[in-house]
Amino acid sequence: MNGTPNSPDIDAAEKWEVQLRKGTLELAILASLWNEPLYGLEILRNLESGSRLVVVEGTVYPLLTRLRSLGLLASEWVESDSGHPRKYYCLTDAGRSRALALSRVWLRFAGSMASVLTPLGDVARPEPILTKEPA
Amino acid sequence: MNADPQKSMEAYLAALRRQLRDLMDEDVREIVEEIHAHILDRTSGDSSPEMLADTLAALGSPQQLALRYHTDELVQRAQLTRSPALLFRTLLRWAALSVGGMAVFMLSGIGYCIGGMLFGMAFLKAFFPRQAGLSIEYTQGHLSSAGFGAGSGPHTGHDPIGLWLIPICLVLGSAILFLTFRLGMWSLRWFAHPRRQPALVAVEE
Repeated sequence: MNGTPNSPDIDAAEKWEVQLRKGTLELAILASLWNEPLYGLEILRNLESGSRLVVVEGTVYPLLTRLRSLGLLASEWVESDSGHPRKYYCLTDAGRSRALALSRVWLRFAGSMASVLTPLGDVARPEPILTKEPA
Repeated sequence: MNADPQKSMEAYLAALRRQLRDLMDEDVREIVEEIHAHILDRTSGDSSPEMLADTLAALGSPQQLALRYHTDELVQRAQLTRSPALLFRTLLRWAALSVGGMAVFMLSGIGYCIGGMLFGMAFLKAFFPRQAGLSIEYTQGHLSSAGFGAGSGPHTGHDPIGLWLIPICLVLGSAILFLTFRLGMWSLRWFAHPRRQPALVAVEE
């Protein structure tokens, strides 16, 4: 059976992926801070260069603030050569623990899904299904 | 967009500061400084008005950006405290920013009012049992009038529920307040985050 998705399927897939993105942005940010402290724009660039994901900038800073208020991140203003201070974020112990826990769940889930999707074979391979750009 | 990038940026930051006025001063200062630093970093190699416009567009309007901070902050606090009052204040803030927010705010207002009235009725029934409650009157075996509420004098009709009205009103009022709270929380999450502003966008290979 040929697997060309029709329009309602694409809409449903987009909605589903929005939920996936929402749930994974926290992990993506925590993971990007695993090795070193970064400031906001570095986190954005890190995510863009290390994956196929582009982060909508206006969503990241509020999320960083929330993660900090949850005690998962710590922040510090650092003077830079560019003439203005930058706010660097780093993982706290709780943040490292959360990142590990979330990544384990994600890897287990992704592995399970890969097995489940095996029967679909090449038909399911990535035609990019996302077409909507943020407003 | 103002042709002077510096003025455009200052106007954006001033608008953001105004939209964040409900937060603590220290938090507002940190947020505005961080966004300021982000804009300076983004435009460090190209300070043209077009680049600034792109940078500000990527952040969203000051209202949208402030709403995300408010939502994150207030939803989180509301979740932690489970405070309907705090949620109501969050919805009021949202109502000022969008039609969807206004609709949810009005629905929530109705829900809280009905829940509050049921609690009030339970209170009145407990202390003024003959003046509050159901009142059903029959004339020659037929229902002639029915009412539910409280009056200044004793009602003349039959009250089939009696004091059972108190637990019924308390349970029903609690359920309506709880559902209103859940509706508000769900609406905030649903409207304010993923659909209107998807967090991540896949890039085609």
